Amino acid sequence: MIDTQLLISGVIFGLSIGSIFFLMAIGLSLCFGLMRIISLDQLLYYSVGAYITYTISVYSGNMWLGALGGLIVAGILSFAVERFIFLRIYERDIAFTMITSFGILIGGVGVIKAIWGLVPRPVPMPIMTQMSIMGTEIPVYRLIVVVIAALVYAGIWLFLNRTITGKAIRAGIENVEHVEGLGINVYRLFTITFIIAGTLSGLSGGLHAPLIMVDPQMGLEVMPFIFMVVIIGGLGSIKGTLISALIVGQVVSIGSLIYAPLAQMAPFAIMLLILLVKPTGLYGSKLLKR
Amino acid sequence: MNPNDLLTVRNLNVSYGESKVLFDIAMDVRPGSVVACVGRNGAGKSTLLKSIAGFIKNVSGTVTCDGVSLLGVRAFDIAKMGIKYIPQDKKVFSDLTVRENLELGSYATKDYNWDQVTDYFPKLKQLMDRKAGFLSGGERQMLMVGRAILGRPKILLIDEPTEGLAPSIVAHLKDVFKEMSKKTALVIVEQNLPLVCAIAEKIYAIKEGRIITELVGERIVANICEGYL
Repeated sequence: MIDTQLLISGVIFGLSIGSIFFLMAIGLSLCFGLMRIISLDQLLYYSVGAYITYTISVYSGNMWLGALGGLIVAGILSFAVERFIFLRIYERDIAFTMITSFGILIGGVGVIKAIWGLVPRPVPMPIMTQMSIMGTEIPVYRLIVVVIAALVYAGIWLFLNRTITGKAIRAGIENVEHVEGLGINVYRLFTITFIIAGTLSGLSGGLHAPLIMVDPQMGLEVMPFIFMVVIIGGLGSIKGTLISALIVGQVVSIGSLIYAPLAQMAPFAIMLLILLVKPTGLYGSKLLKR
Repeated sequence: MNPNDLLTVRNLNVSYGESKVLFDIAMDVRPGSVVACVGRNGAGKSTLLKSIAGFIKNVSGTVTCDGVSLLGVRAFDIAKMGIKYIPQDKKVFSDLTVRENLELGSYATKDYNWDQVTDYFPKLKQLMDRKAGFLSGGERQMLMVGRAILGRPKILLIDEPTEGLAPSIVAHLKDVFKEMSKKTALVIVEQNLPLVCAIAEKIYAIKEGRIITELVGERIVANICEGYL
């Protein structure tokens, strides 16, 4: 039996890690939904976001400034990668774009090692305050991460549902050829989506940095969880990504309380179970095909 | 090549990978005319429209609109030039409302005059806030045509518009196409011969990727066309 205080702290931990997963997975999900690419390089922007946060934190002593810098640099980097690489290969087979994105990730990790070295770097928690929830002391920073993810979800929802560019992106997720047929420059939509994805990956890295040690492999370590989030939620679905990220976050957190190896294994079991019942994922309306 | 023609296609050859599907296609479309393409399934009619609209890359020959070459131009730029393709799949953006579907039609063209759409299809007025995924086949076709005519295109390339629709809707579409052709040239791929014969001023019969005959004037009657299906 798990102690109640441990359970509460586990749930909050799961919420915060789920929020990080959500911020990362949303980009991957949108990129697949619209451009039909598996953009593994998002994991690089996550790492870059964390390292820039680390560097700026060291020099300025302000982690929030670091996270802001991290998301800006990640956004600029993703824009450059989209312009110089993906724009030339969107038409290619999905396996080709996936291998290319993996190459970008591996190359990028090499550059990170060259710049920051192999030694893991700590980023100080910006807020040390604890809050008591039903007698359990919870770090306020973890709650702030959850609030930021909720705000991002609201912002993305408003963007996709209330702006014409967002509506065009939603339409493109359904059928990009029909959007093109109306005279809409779909490549501009691709660029906007890619920048949003990269920026959010950078933000997730920045927010995650104080909760872990920042190291060059951090993107690769989180990769299986992000894949699970995207697949469980349903490709291209924002709502599905959020719910799925929260499920995976809880399974990782509570699972580790019950039996440590469960934290790694249980999300896979959940994914298989959901895919057996609903092969398109929780909110995937159809199996997206290229 | 007639200088008065709006769309001119010459020696158009199209391949899907190694397999060639269209051979030396030649066609002309005058402004404000209705041209139809008939033929059996797999003859290459839809491929012809998609090639003109820029959706197929492996194309050689000449395709010009108002003297401007369309070959190598991206599909969305061709649409912006006023050549709109309406696919046969009747797939509207189902997660978006009718209003949002029309907004996307207006987005690229900056034409927000939806009266022209609702004049042709008054029913859409009542359906503005309905998700397009919940529309009937006929309503979807109305929406697809409606969002395509925003921006006053020069040519509409319409692929099997009446396939699977109720006779009353087909009759309505026939009237709409007749009216529409006063402002916009229509190139229609269609198996519904009574409709085609009622509105087309020229019919190209396509067989196995080749135009085998061109029917005009009094030869446009259903029993002659039937011979080419």
